[in-house]
Amino acid sequence: MENMSPVLLMQRHEIVEADLVLVRELGSHIEPRLAEYVEHLYAWMRQLPEYEEYFADPRRVERVQRAQVDYWRELFRGVIDESFMARRRATGEMHARIGLSLPTYFAAVDMSLTILVDRVLPEAALGDRKAAALRALTKIVHIDTAIVVEAYNRLTSEKLAGQARALLELSTPVTALWEDILLLPVIGIIDSRRAQDIMRSVLQRIAETRAKVFIMDISGVSVVDTAVANHLIKITKAMRLMGCECLLSGVSPAVAQTVIELGIDISSVNSRATMRDALEEGFRRVGIEVKRIGQ
Amino acid sequence: MSLRDAENRELLVLRIDDDSDIPVVLVRLGAFLSAQGICAPESARIATATVELATNIVKYAKRGVIRVRALRLGHQRGIEVEAEDKGPGIANVNLALTDSYSTSGSLGLGLPGVRRLMDDFDIRSTVGSGTTVRIRRWIP
Ligand SMILES: Nc1ncnc2c1ncn2[C@@H]1O[C@H](COP(=O)(O)OP(=O)(O)O)[C@@H](O)[C@H]1O
Ligand SMILES: [Mg+2]
Repeated sequence: MENMSPVLLMQRHEIVEADLVLVRELGSHIEPRLAEYVEHLYAWMRQLPEYEEYFADPRRVERVQRAQVDYWRELFRGVIDESFMARRRATGEMHARIGLSLPTYFAAVDMSLTILVDRVLPEAALGDRKAAALRALTKIVHIDTAIVVEAYNRLTSEKLAGQARALLELSTPVTALWEDILLLPVIGIIDSRRAQDIMRSVLQRIAETRAKVFIMDISGVSVVDTAVANHLIKITKAMRLMGCECLLSGVSPAVAQTVIELGIDISSVNSRATMRDALEEGFRRVGIEVKRIGQ
Repeated sequence: MSLRDAENRELLVLRIDDDSDIPVVLVRLGAFLSAQGICAPESARIATATVELATNIVKYAKRGVIRVRALRLGHQRGIEVEAEDKGPGIANVNLALTDSYSTSGSLGLGLPGVRRLMDDFDIRSTVGSGTTVRIRRWIP
């Protein structure tokens, strides 16, 4: 839709010239009374929980109210062209930037239509063409919402894609906790590529340090699919081959449940509930006893 | 348009072109689910199933699309995930749904695992024209 022409967009929403004519006529009845609309809309908006957050500044309220009036004026011009689309995209991006949620946006559009039709539009306006006119209005509002939502989504997904890259680039900080004991807290997202990086760097460290115990804590990992589980199992086996036991810790209840339901055989994995449990086990394995002073 | 309709229409579209899209799927889906008020363990279940389907698209069909919808049926809330590709299709779907069956030497637990993780599971595949898997989870 991003590159869709106004003509195609109108076709997709089945908007014909007659609809635009009806919407203009609707506008001639509504436009003189848009001030009333704003009053009703703000009576409703003021009771939204997010109202205070966005409208603490009265100048902002004024600015947004003006924009809302302009918005309906433009819509009632009954012209769907590039500039209409560009302005709607800008609105979507603006809402995404201020973090206004789409359900709230939808609710406000919904409420606006109700107010315009039930309270602002004179009863007798348009006579028997009223139903067709309201259908036409709804179609145009739908086009508009589609453009806003797409712009909103694009901005949000660009932001999220950036976060995903950042999470993947998290380093794998292997720490020597004790003689013979290494620790790796895995945080963020593991995909196949990152799992391979982890495997390479931990095996390297084990070769360098000749560690006997490796604690891998995955409390910072929320999703373990079959590919990641398979990598974890392989890492465990490779370590064992190098004379180092891998102790997995921090498996959340959600991860435990999904791994079991996926049907993964985890019998070769040595797991402890917490990093502390794993550390105690590690000390035991390398023959260290930790005691309270004076005991 | 009512608010209810708007919520039912709420949709997340995830295009899958290569394996660098998998982490993006996780992050975007995570944000979508938390916006719907869905948290662990349900979010982990849905995300795991979705990643399995996304991984299959990358591995077997190269590219495809995943659509996620928030469902509402009376008081029941649910999530629907549809993974569609125009790849080679699956010759024997029953075999593909069997534990440990894999044509690529991996665990072969993706499809049967997804079926166990979700409430509804529907797969349509035609050799030569592609595969669509649709799954649903009703939030308990
Ligand atoms: N989208 C798809 N297109 C074509 N074939 C598929 C697709 N998804 C799964 N398959 C086939 O089904 C088999 C089983 O898939 P799955 O259970 O995910 O296990 P795995 O991916 O480990 O092989 C795959 O090996 C592959 O042959
Ligand atoms: Mg698979």
